[in-house]
Amino acid sequence: MSRTDAVTRILFESFSAAEVRLFYAFGYAAIAVFAYGVYVQIRKYRRGAALKLDGSLWTRFGAMVASVLSHRTLDRRDPAAGGAHRLIFYGFVVLFLGTSTITLEYDILEPLFGIRFWHGEFYLVFSLVLDVAGVALLGGLIYMMVRRGWMKLPKLDYARPDRVPGDPDFDRPQYRREDWAFLWILVVIGATGYVLEAARLVWLQARPEVWDVRWWSPVGAMLAETFRALGLKEHGGAVFRHGLWWFHGLLALAFIALIPFTKVKHIFTSAASLMVRDPLAAQRLPRIPETQEQPGAAKITDFNWKQLLNLDACTKCGRCHEACPARAVGAPLSPRDVILSLREFAKDSLESGTVPEAAELDIHGKSPGQVAQETLWACRTCMACVEICPVAVEHVPIIVQMRRKLVEDGAMDPLLTKTLQTIHKTGNSFGESKRKRAAWTRALPFPVKDARKEPVDVLWFVGDYASFDPRNQKVTQTFAALLHEAGIDFGILYEAESNAGNDVRRVGEEGLYELLANANVAAIACASFKTIVTTDPHSYNTIRNEYPDFGGKYEIQHYTSFVKRLFDEGKLRVTKPLGIRATFHDPCHLGRFNKGYEAPRDVLKLLGCELVEMGRSRANSFCCGAGGGRIWIPDPVGSEKPAQNRIKEAAAIPDLEVYVVSCPKDLTMFEDALKTTGNEGKFMVKELIELIREAVPAHLPEVTAV
Amino acid sequence: MKILVAVKQVAALDEEFEFRDDGRDVDPDFLIRDLNEWDDFSLEEAVRIKEAAALPTTVVAVSVGPGDVDEVLRKCLAKGADRAVRIWDDAIEGSDPIAVARVLAAAVRREAPDLLFAGVQSSDHSFASTGIATAAFLDWPHAAVVSQLSYTPGAATAVFRRELEGGLLQEVEIQCPAVLTIQLGINTPRYASLRSIKQAAAKPIDVVSLADLGLVAADVGEAGSASRVRRMYVPDKGHAELIEGGAAAQAARLAAIIREFKGDSA
Repeated sequence: MSRTDAVTRILFESFSAAEVRLFYAFGYAAIAVFAYGVYVQIRKYRRGAALKLDGSLWTRFGAMVASVLSHRTLDRRDPAAGGAHRLIFYGFVVLFLGTSTITLEYDILEPLFGIRFWHGEFYLVFSLVLDVAGVALLGGLIYMMVRRGWMKLPKLDYARPDRVPGDPDFDRPQYRREDWAFLWILVVIGATGYVLEAARLVWLQARPEVWDVRWWSPVGAMLAETFRALGLKEHGGAVFRHGLWWFHGLLALAFIALIPFTKVKHIFTSAASLMVRDPLAAQRLPRIPETQEQPGAAKITDFNWKQLLNLDACTKCGRCHEACPARAVGAPLSPRDVILSLREFAKDSLESGTVPEAAELDIHGKSPGQVAQETLWACRTCMACVEICPVAVEHVPIIVQMRRKLVEDGAMDPLLTKTLQTIHKTGNSFGESKRKRAAWTRALPFPVKDARKEPVDVLWFVGDYASFDPRNQKVTQTFAALLHEAGIDFGILYEAESNAGNDVRRVGEEGLYELLANANVAAIACASFKTIVTTDPHSYNTIRNEYPDFGGKYEIQHYTSFVKRLFDEGKLRVTKPLGIRATFHDPCHLGRFNKGYEAPRDVLKLLGCELVEMGRSRANSFCCGAGGGRIWIPDPVGSEKPAQNRIKEAAAIPDLEVYVVSCPKDLTMFEDALKTTGNEGKFMVKELIELIREAVPAHLPEVTAV
Repeated sequence: MKILVAVKQVAALDEEFEFRDDGRDVDPDFLIRDLNEWDDFSLEEAVRIKEAAALPTTVVAVSVGPGDVDEVLRKCLAKGADRAVRIWDDAIEGSDPIAVARVLAAAVRREAPDLLFAGVQSSDHSFASTGIATAAFLDWPHAAVVSQLSYTPGAATAVFRRELEGGLLQEVEIQCPAVLTIQLGINTPRYASLRSIKQAAAKPIDVVSLADLGLVAADVGEAGSASRVRRMYVPDKGHAELIEGGAAAQAARLAAIIREFKGDSA
């Protein structure tokens, strides 16, 4: 290959030695600014509370790389954005690596070891790949501009539900400016790269080792032909190239310098956030360390370093904003804005040389950067935000930790205060006597075993709503009858069972939660059983994911998977297929929290139901509004409730007959919403257990009411 | 400066209950116990006064009762009381409000506060007399059913409002030390988180005996009481009957019922 050495990237040709030195000076300055910025950011995170990650760092790193390379989390619910980001990401990575290899040869390998690889066929393939990468980058960027500028997606609107127009941080125009500046800088860097390439070709058109291989840079070559057609000559090309080279180079260096100070830092923070993700972030809330004086988060520094990193990982993509049921019904909460507020707070308070006084670190309130009480109490802890976040921001533990502080101060709805006191006093949220917990069993034509007194196969943890709510008691009795008929050896804890505490913990009353969890773990310890079954997804979640921290490690199943097995094993048989058109509502704590999506659907099919899915189903199921203790706090009068929003969605299904739920709280919420939205009579809300009863008629006399 | 708050652990009936063997009270096994609702408000009022005070002010919760009562005292400590005092002697069992007031008065003399708060009444026995009887033993000025209060620790007087019948309000100035019984709704009692209740367990509760107060067994219990519960029972339920039919038939049935009540044979 005669031209092997000659065919190469033209770097500093035509530059004076002084110019080259100047460029290097800018380069080092950019790297210095970048390094300082990284230091400031890391110092900020280190000002948060300590946290020890479990699991191996390499496993975490591998999972992060897989997630980033596949863009799996970015494709979800917005494949167009995911695709465009993929173009930008891969375009940027290839261009960055390409530019880095130049440095590798020119500044390191050649001067130190005399190694050169940057010529010949390698160079030609390289230019082709980089040209294609540039097209990908620009294509992705232009699509993102179209989304922002023309599609005007509601989730990209920064107007906040927790502020009113006129508030200094109502719609944060600085974010819009930053978004556009980010896109434009990258577009200009990319576009000038091509123009630069074209100008160089025009300038060096007389050299065969440049001109003859021009089509290996197809975009640059096409532009060069255009320039020539427009009358650009060699000299003009040289001058143009020289000036543009500086513009392009300095812009690229400025971009690098600005990374740690702008949204560009998400390149690092989002990846790091994915790496430190907790797959049980919302399912298993953190305990309060013994050493911590004040429970919960009062100051920005009460968050741990990982949470501070989470704040910086947010890219304002709006997926959580879109998924949040509180936001959907106009409540003053957007998970995105909670994160962004706290991020601004951390930026203003923790990036300077010294940490301000404690009083200036208070994150509770209505000033910019602070989070208002109403916002925190609007949360249903339904996990929709955590589940959809493409960069593993964990909103729910942040909100609950802030609520812990509010609970400590008593800053909550009086009805919630009353409920917590009631639960403390009686062990249940209904304020009923402990003795009444198993009153529903009296109407059954068979005795229910006391699992504290005799061994059973199945320990049924009944839960508050299923035990005390009159409507749910009927379902509870039906389930008992089904178990009895299937020949299952089961028992309950009678008055030794307490509220499982799932929602108490999500309210932020950690002390009461500990009391309840310890009481239940102690009660369960008195029983001899193989597995726990519950009809209540809230109890299911906390027993499954949180009781292990309190010494309670059990096998536990939600009734949907348990019943599915009873059908599979032939212990229950469908003798009257239902033939109805039904839709299924995934309870947050069964679906999103514990991925129990299939069992209820399988059972519905076994019962002979035609299952029509709602638009928002499975991981995107829409919370009934009762989670996070909100069942104890009345929704504001006149505004839409999440359950009503949901029932309207179901009502749009043609000829729907039954809206199927598999959670006691859902039954209460949706039967109410069915009435208040005027859909009563059009379709029915039923527990899956009730449908099973219809398809598996009783052999025993009818259950009588309590 | 010091405010003493008299609190009581009250009992609420469980869904099903039985009476004690002597028939004079409910079997304690069937009672759910908690801090008297009125006392929650009076304690909150004292703590608020303390928190707003310029002079160092101590809030002391005091209760007459056995060891179980520590639970409500701990709640008071969690809500902001600085100290708690529990007075007990087996001889106190069976005391009526007057005897309890005698004990409280002795405790007040020992503590020498600037104000004594008590709830208007207790939710279980509803005598509404302990606070005022204590004032009588102390010979202190007193007022009942206070619904708004303004008092600065160290001041010679307190000014408060009482709600009277017919929507009238009475504003009263009272010389300290004084006894005030506090009405529900005077404030919004704070929530005592379980964590704060647990932490309050570290604060000591002074247990005081009758002898410490200079009292003897004859001052308390049934011997020291002016009243005695004879029995407690669930009254027979009344019944109603809807008389149907024409005027004549209705009149005939009514007459029959009247005769039945009079004991005449029909």
